Amino acid sequence: MASRAETPVYPVPWYQGRVASWVATVDHKRIGILYILTSLIFFLAGGILALLIRTQLIATNVDIFAHDTYNELFTMHGTTMVFLVVVPIFAGFANYVVPLMIGARDVAFPRLNALSYWLFLFGGVILYGSWFAEGGAAKAGWTSYPPLSAETAGNGQDLWIVGLHVLSLASLAGAINFLATIHNMRTAGMTWMRLPLFVWTIEIYSALLVLVLPALSAGLTMLLLDRQGWTHFFLPGDGGDPVLYQHVFWFFGHPEVYVMILPAMGIISEIIPVFSRKPIFGYKAIAFSTVAIGFYSLLVWAHHMFAVGLGWGLDIWFMLASLIIAVPTGVKIFNWIATTWRGNLIFDTPMLFSLGFIAVFTIGGLSGIYVAVFPFDWQVHDTYFVVAHLHYVLFGGSVFGIFAALYYWWPKMFGRYLNETLGKWHFWLTFIGFNLAFFPQHFLGLMGMPRRIYTYTDSSWELYNLLSTLGSYVMGLAALIFIANVIWSRRRSPRAVSDPWVADTLEWFTTSPPPPHNFDKVPYVTSARPLRDLRRRLAEERV
Amino acid sequence: MPEPVATATLLAASGLTPVKPESPNAERIADLFWFVTFFAIVVFLVVAIPLVVFIVRYRSRGRSRGEEGPQIVGNTNLEIAWTAVPVVILILIAGFTFYKLPGLSLEAPNELEVQVEGRQFYWQYRYPNGAIAIDKLVAPADRVVRLHVTAPDYDVIHSYWVPALFGKMDAIPGRTNEVEFKGKVGTYKGQCAEFCGLQHARMLNQIQVIPSEQFDTWLTEQGAAQTAGRSDLGEQEFTGVCAKCHGDRGQGDIGPAFSAATVSSAQSVEQIVREGRNKMPPVGRGWSDEQMQALTAYLQQRFAQGSPPGG
Repeated sequence: MASRAETPVYPVPWYQGRVASWVATVDHKRIGILYILTSLIFFLAGGILALLIRTQLIATNVDIFAHDTYNELFTMHGTTMVFLVVVPIFAGFANYVVPLMIGARDVAFPRLNALSYWLFLFGGVILYGSWFAEGGAAKAGWTSYPPLSAETAGNGQDLWIVGLHVLSLASLAGAINFLATIHNMRTAGMTWMRLPLFVWTIEIYSALLVLVLPALSAGLTMLLLDRQGWTHFFLPGDGGDPVLYQHVFWFFGHPEVYVMILPAMGIISEIIPVFSRKPIFGYKAIAFSTVAIGFYSLLVWAHHMFAVGLGWGLDIWFMLASLIIAVPTGVKIFNWIATTWRGNLIFDTPMLFSLGFIAVFTIGGLSGIYVAVFPFDWQVHDTYFVVAHLHYVLFGGSVFGIFAALYYWWPKMFGRYLNETLGKWHFWLTFIGFNLAFFPQHFLGLMGMPRRIYTYTDSSWELYNLLSTLGSYVMGLAALIFIANVIWSRRRSPRAVSDPWVADTLEWFTTSPPPPHNFDKVPYVTSARPLRDLRRRLAEERV
Repeated sequence: MPEPVATATLLAASGLTPVKPESPNAERIADLFWFVTFFAIVVFLVVAIPLVVFIVRYRSRGRSRGEEGPQIVGNTNLEIAWTAVPVVILILIAGFTFYKLPGLSLEAPNELEVQVEGRQFYWQYRYPNGAIAIDKLVAPADRVVRLHVTAPDYDVIHSYWVPALFGKMDAIPGRTNEVEFKGKVGTYKGQCAEFCGLQHARMLNQIQVIPSEQFDTWLTEQGAAQTAGRSDLGEQEFTGVCAKCHGDRGQGDIGPAFSAATVSSAQSVEQIVREGRNKMPPVGRGWSDEQMQALTAYLQQRFAQGSPPGG
C-alpha cells in the first residue's frame, strides 16, 4: 500500500493551532475554561501556602516559616484566594454558562472578554513574580494597611499594588461585559423573572464590581504614590490619615465579600432544585434577596473598623446595617431548605457540595452576627474568631459553591463526567477537614489568639492549633483526590450526554460541549425552567 | 470553689466561652456573647434540623431522576414568616446591645490616666508622674484606669487589648483613642492585635492589677527611682525592646548578638536605637535622655564583660 505523502492542500491557519487557538480565542466558552483552569492552578498555589501557614502554627515556637517568610505566606495566601481564585473563577463560570443560560451566541464584547482573561493572567503573573522581587513578596497582609504597607522596604509591595491594579482592570472589563450581555442578549421570552438565579447573582456580582473597583484603584494609586512618589495621603507625619485608606479599602473590600459569595449562592440555587426534582422555592424571594444583599453590602464597610475608634455613632450605624444583611441571607437559606421538602433528593456530588454549603455557610452567617455586634467585635476583631468566620463564608460558602459548580457543569464544559465515587470522597474529606480546620479557630479567637502571628508561646492554644493543622492536611488530601478525578475524567470517563442531570436551564439544551455557535435554535422561553417545559411538551406530543 | 464557678472557669480556659471577664465593661461584653449565642444556637437548630430531616426523609431511595416531587413554587406566608422572625431576633440583639452600651465606657472621679504608645514591637506606658514602663502595665485594683492609646507618627498601627479587662482599641499614628478598665487583683495577658510587621507575634503585653494602696506607693517609688537612675527601667527596655529581635540573652536572633564591643560606646548604641538600621526600626526615637541612659547603662553592665551572663 502506498502511504499518504501529500501535504494538505489547505494549510491550517496559525490561529487554529492547538495552542494558538486558545491564545487567539474570543469564544466565551474557551475563555471561561481558561479562567477556570487558571484559577484552579492559583487555588492550588494558594492552598499550598495555607498548608505551609498551618504547618508553622502546628505547635508553639515552631521555626520553619517564621518572621517575614510567614508574613509573605499569609499575605500572598489571602491575596491569591480573593483576587486570583474566587473572583476570577466566578468570572470563568459566568463566561461559560451565562450566555448559554440566556440562549445567547456569545457575550456582548468577545474581544474585550479575551482582554479580561489575559489581563487576569498577567496580573497573576505580576503578583507571583513578586516572590522574586527585591525584599521578597508583599508582606503587609492582603489588606495592606498603611503606614506599614507604605513603609515596607523592597519592591514586593509595589508589585502587589501593580498586580492588583491589573486584576481590577480585568474584573472591571469582565463585569461590564456581563452586564451588557445580561441586559441585551437574553433570548426571546426570557424576562427578568424567568432569568436563571445564577444569572441574577452574576448581574449583582458585576454591578458591585463596577461600583467598588474604582475605589480600590484609587486607594492603591494613593498607596503607590505614598511609597514611590512624594505624597502622604496615608502618612500621619505629614498630615495624612491612615484611617482614610481603611475606609477606601473596605468600601471596596466589603462588597467584594458579596462579589465572592453571591455567585456561589446562585450556583446552589440552580443545583438544589435540579437534584430535588422540584422547582426552586420562592424564586422571587431569592432573586430580590440577591439585590437586597448587593445594596446593603455597600453600606456596611466600617464594620471592619470597629476597633479603629470611629465613635459609637458610626459603630451603631454599621452594626445595624450589617445585621440587616442577615435577613435576606436567611431568606435564601430557608428557601433552599424548603426546596428540598418532599423532593426526590439525588445525592450526586454537586448536590452534596450544595447541601454542605447550606450547613457550613449558616455557621459562617451566625458568627457574622457576633462580629456585627460591635462591642463583642472589640474582643474578637483581628483574632482567629474572625479567621474562622471568614473561612466559613469564603471556603464553606464560596469554595463549596465552586466545587458544586465544577461537578455540575464539568460534563457540559468538557463533554466528560467526573467520577462520582471520587467526587463523594472529595466532598466528605473536604467537609470533615474543613470543619476540623476552622471550627476550633473560633475557640482560639475567644482565648485571645490574634491572627497574623507567626508563632505563639501559650501552650493552651496548642491543641486547637494542632486540630486545625490536621484538618488542613485532610483538605489537602481532598484536593489531591479532586486532581485525580480530573485526570480520570480525561482518560476514562464516558462521553457526556447533553443533559445528564435532567436539568431546567438552557445550557443543557445544547450538546456537551456545545458547538462554537452554542445553539442551532433556541426555544421560546415561557418560564424560568425552559428545558423542563420543552421535555413536557415533547412528552405530550408523544402521547 | 463552688461548682458552677469551676465549670465557668473550665469553659473559659478551654476557649468554649470568652476569657473570664475581670472588669465591668468586659463583663458586659461577655453578656452580649451569651445573648447572641442563645439565638445563634436556636437559629442553627432551626436550619440544621429541617435540613437533616429532609435529607433523610426525602432521599431518593432508588427513585428515578424522572420522578418529580410536588411542583411547589413558594408560599407567601412562609416567606413573610422567615423574613419577620429574623427581623425580630435582630431587633432583640440590637436592643440588648443598646441596653449594655452605657456601661461599656467607665467613668469615675479618681481615674488613673495612662498614656499607651504602640511601637514596633513593644508597648510603652507613661504614668501621670512621668514614670515609664514597657510591655507590663501595673494598675490599681477597683479604680478606673483610662488608657490613652496611640502610636507615634513615624510608627505603624497596633492594637491594644487585654481580653479579660476590655476589648481592643487600635493604636493609630496621629490619633488617640481611649479605653478604660476597672480590674480585680491579678495578672492578665494580652497581645498586639493589629498586624504591625516583623515581630508582631512577639508584641505581648500584660496588666498586673495590685491593691490600690500598694499601687500608690509603688508608683511614687518607681517615679523617684527612674529620676535617680536606679530603677529597673533599663532591664524592662532590654526585655521589651531589644530581646525580641536580639534574643533573651542578647545572643542574636533576627538582629545580631550583643557583645562587649557593640555595647561599649553609649553614643553609638544611642544612635542605632534612635535611628534604626536595616530591618531594625527606630525603637528609641522620642525617648528621653533618662530612658536612653537606663538602657545604655543596663547593656554595658550586662554585656561589657564579654560573654553574656547565663540565664
